[in-house]
Amino acid sequence: MATRHLIIGGGTAGLNAIRTIREEDSTSEITLVSRERPYSRMVLPYYLGATIAESHVYTATPASLHAWGVKTMLGRRAASLDTAEHRLTLDDGATVAYDDCLIATGSRAARPPVPGAEGPGVHSFWTLDEARAVIADVQPGTRVVMVGAGFISFTILNTILSRGAALTIVEVAPRILPRMVDEACATIVARWLEDHGVTIRAGATLTKIEEWKGKRKLTFKKGAPIFADVVIMATGIRTNLEWVDGSGIEVSAESGGGILVDDHLRSSVKTVYAAGDVARGPNLLTGTLEVHAIEPTAQEHGRVVGANMAGRDRAYRGSLIMNIVEVCHLDIASFGQWDDAKADVFTATRADRSQYRKLLFRGGKLTGAMICGPAEAIWTTNDVGMLKGLVYSGADLSAWKTHLKGNPFDVKPAYLATHTAGKLLPQTILGRASHSPQLPQSVMVQ
Amino acid sequence: MRVLALHPDRCTGCLRCELACSYMQTGTYQPSKSVIRVSPFEGYTSYAPYTCTQCAEGWCMTACPVGAITINAVGAKDVLDDKCVGCKLCTIACPYGTMFYDADTTKAYKCNLCDGAPACAEACPTQAITFEEGESADWIGDFAASRTSRVLAREHA
Repeated sequence: MATRHLIIGGGTAGLNAIRTIREEDSTSEITLVSRERPYSRMVLPYYLGATIAESHVYTATPASLHAWGVKTMLGRRAASLDTAEHRLTLDDGATVAYDDCLIATGSRAARPPVPGAEGPGVHSFWTLDEARAVIADVQPGTRVVMVGAGFISFTILNTILSRGAALTIVEVAPRILPRMVDEACATIVARWLEDHGVTIRAGATLTKIEEWKGKRKLTFKKGAPIFADVVIMATGIRTNLEWVDGSGIEVSAESGGGILVDDHLRSSVKTVYAAGDVARGPNLLTGTLEVHAIEPTAQEHGRVVGANMAGRDRAYRGSLIMNIVEVCHLDIASFGQWDDAKADVFTATRADRSQYRKLLFRGGKLTGAMICGPAEAIWTTNDVGMLKGLVYSGADLSAWKTHLKGNPFDVKPAYLATHTAGKLLPQTILGRASHSPQLPQSVMVQ
Repeated sequence: MRVLALHPDRCTGCLRCELACSYMQTGTYQPSKSVIRVSPFEGYTSYAPYTCTQCAEGWCMTACPVGAITINAVGAKDVLDDKCVGCKLCTIACPYGTMFYDADTTKAYKCNLCDGAPACAEACPTQAITFEEGESADWIGDFAASRTSRVLAREHA
């Protein structure tokens, strides 16, 4: 009998697993259980900005899933997993038997326990439904307050402005982007945003949201209240793992939680894999198990799980934390251990050009980097990639450390002269060349 | 597969490749929009071109959340303009620094081997860029190492 693969969750990790299984074999059974129809959260900001149509956000259609030989159970949630009987129960009582399964149920937007945080006119921006609600409410002239100055709020900042709204960002930490950049970089970004008409209030603890004459009144521990037509809460995410309780699958008790996985992304129950935001997998640089709730990790996890489900026995080296966001034509990116107090740190600022670089070394290896600069400067984009390559490859930069200390912007000669490209060329995630994202006709299952 | 082979010891730094590339890729003669980039070494006395190797992993392609990067008929990874949303994930995923972003179109773009007739190779007067059957390689690592050794030695002195 054909192996029965069960994929729980139709996001980036789940879809990449399905595609990779089908790249390897066309005969196994695949069932996808997903509460939502598969789409990419990563591109929702562009849907919000009306630069793409809603149809553009979907990563699979009923037709493509059918062509890939995937049995779909959409619009339903996973309710409980019986790992001894190899059986999933859904919220409507239906059951699915499997030989191996992937938990990729992702995460959801979390709101702080503040009175009024669940009230009318208060949004999250995480799911397609939530994006539709924000689109309906944000019009030219709308006064929008975003609570939380992290990656998620920054991904929609441009589109809030392009919709003609007036934007204020409030953040509980003393500076913006506290988990993505350091203070020097945050200062440059904050000044840039204020020059582009965004009001920023950092170090502000929200205590209450209430209705006031048809508007939202936000009260803070200190300082004046802020009035808004629309409030968007971008105050973090929480993994969708409650339904796994009682299954015997080991979930980390540490901050961030997540299913503990080995280097094949198997949970404590070896027929159950986990990937993406719900997986506590290895950090590429340190080997420590961490939840990296970012798109590239979900994608790599999904592909590695797909290969293993298809019998490829593929170990995963680990994921590199990295983020990039552009706000008002300013690029901001960081990689790896950019907040490492024990690293040798070299920085350079060109404040007049809003440019900032930070390089972090452990010995002769680059272990973290930060980059900020106007998006039209092509060197910013190219250096982002080269810095990723240096961190990812663990290139020996001992001979270049002195030079980079004095010239943190001069990354390219160091990259080229240390043969970094040559080290990277043989490296692949799956031990083979990657395929085009569209499955070729030859592996389609009838 | 045919690849762009780069021979830095033949490069004169004339930048014709950048002009030809930018015209082919964006319809304008703007070296700043070229996806092949010539770097100077040793105080602008020697030069090396650098571009995408069409690596096996295809980091840009696997990173794209909407499948906007595919393999074209000549084996190059190519951005489909109508699918690219401009999220820049490919620019941090590519560990070679060979993804580009056009601020005018708000799309990513890269070397697509000009669908089989690379303009840079045709424009190069010294055959420092050739389009030939073979494997991708680290074409300029040795050159860059030798051309930077004096600078580094001076800094360490």
